[in-house]
Amino acid sequence: MNNDVYAFALKSTLDEIQSICPDVSNTFIFKDGKILAKGETTNEKTVNSTINAFDAITERADTIGGLETVTIQGANGRVNIACMNDFYLTTVLSKKADEKYVNTLTRVLIPTVIKLVEKIHPASTDDETLTVDLEPAEDEAAEEDADSAEDSENEPAEEETVTTEPTEEQETPEVDDEPLLPEPPVTQFIVENLGGLLVPSDTVRIDKSVITEWNDLYSDKKIEEVDVETLDGKKTRCKFKHIKDSKHKGKGIIRMPEKIQLTLETAKGELVMVKPVVE
Amino acid sequence: MGKKKRSIHETATTVIVDDETDVTSVEEDQVFTDLSKSLAEIRKRDGVVGYILRSTSSATIDLKEPEKIVEYAILSSQVLDSSREMSDLFDLGDVKSILIEGKEIKALCVVIGENKISIFMENNADHADILKRVSP
Repeated sequence: MNNDVYAFALKSTLDEIQSICPDVSNTFIFKDGKILAKGETTNEKTVNSTINAFDAITERADTIGGLETVTIQGANGRVNIACMNDFYLTTVLSKKADEKYVNTLTRVLIPTVIKLVEKIHPASTDDETLTVDLEPAEDEAAEEDADSAEDSENEPAEEETVTTEPTEEQETPEVDDEPLLPEPPVTQFIVENLGGLLVPSDTVRIDKSVITEWNDLYSDKKIEEVDVETLDGKKTRCKFKHIKDSKHKGKGIIRMPEKIQLTLETAKGELVMVKPVVE
Repeated sequence: MGKKKRSIHETATTVIVDDETDVTSVEEDQVFTDLSKSLAEIRKRDGVVGYILRSTSSATIDLKEPEKIVEYAILSSQVLDSSREMSDLFDLGDVKSILIEGKEIKALCVVIGENKISIFMENNADHADILKRVSP
C-alpha cells in the first residue's frame, strides 16, 4: 500500500495526540528505518538520529528475540518506542506527563488508524484515468434484451436522474486535495454482460451492498460515477446503478454494457477493479 | 593479576573481572558491593535469566546461558549508548533506567552513578518491582 495514505492518516493522529496531551513533546512513526509521519513540533534531523540509535540496538537484539519496545526514563522525561503493526511509534513525554493516559491513547489510536487505513484502502491503483466518450447503446443479443428490459422497467425513476457527464482528464482525488476523505476503496468484480434497448450504454450495475458501503464511508459526499479498471490497466469512468435482478445480486459481478467492455477491452468473466469517484 | 570466580547461583556462572590496578577499589566500592548483593537476590526470582553489573573498573555477569554472555554484554552496552544519545536529542537529562522488550526476553538497564546494571528476564517478570529493588 502507498505509504502516503498511512502518512496522512498517522500525521493527523499524531497531531491530535499532541493537542490533547500537551505533555507529549514529540511524536513520530517510522518503518524500516524511514520516517512515515511526525508531529508538527518534531524535528526531522532529531527523528533520523533517533532512528539510527534505535536501529543500532535492533541490530544487536537477536539474543532477546528481536526488539519490540524501548523505554528510556531520563531525569526530565521519557522516550518510548513501541512496535505497532510493523510500525514504530515514538513518543517523548515530559516528566509530569500521565504515562498511563498517553499509553492508553496511543496504543489504541495508532493501531486503530493503521487498521482503518488498511481496510479502506485495500489496493493501490494507477492515477492515470482513461475517459472515453460514451455513445448510445446498440442492439444487444435477444437473450440479453428480455432480461435487461425487465431490469430497466424496474429501476426507480430517481435513479435515472443521474446526469453528471464523464469529463475528460478528470483525475482521481488525491489525499492532499481531500485531506479529510479516506482513499476510495477498490473492489474487484467479474464482468457480466448487460444489454437491451432501454439500457444506457454509459452505466454499469453494481451490487447494492457495495454502493451502500460507499455511501456510508462518504456520507457527506455524492457518488455518481465509478472508475473501472482492468487488470491490464485500461480505465474508464462511468455512471452506475445497483443491480435489481436478484439472480445477479451478491455474486461479486459488475453488469457492463458492451460499449464499456469494448472500451476496456474486457469481456464477460474477466476481473475488473472498481472504485467510487468522490466529488 | 588477581582473578576471582564465585558461584552465586547453582545454575549459573558468575565472573568477576578485575582490572589489575583496581583490585582493591572493587572492595572499596560499597555501592558496587551492595548492588552485587541485591542482584544476586534478584537473580533467584522466577523469570530472571541473569544480569550484568559494570562499574568503571569491574564487571559481574551471571547468566543462565553463559554461552550468550558476549551477545548480552554487547546488547547491554549498545542500549546504554543509544539511550544516552536519545536522551541528549530530547533533552531528557541523566538516563535513569531503560527497558527494552523483545519477543522472548526483556532487559532492564539502570544507571546508578558509575555503575551500569542490565537485568535480563522473561517477558512476564515484574520489571517495575525489580527496578524498585535496585534503585537507590
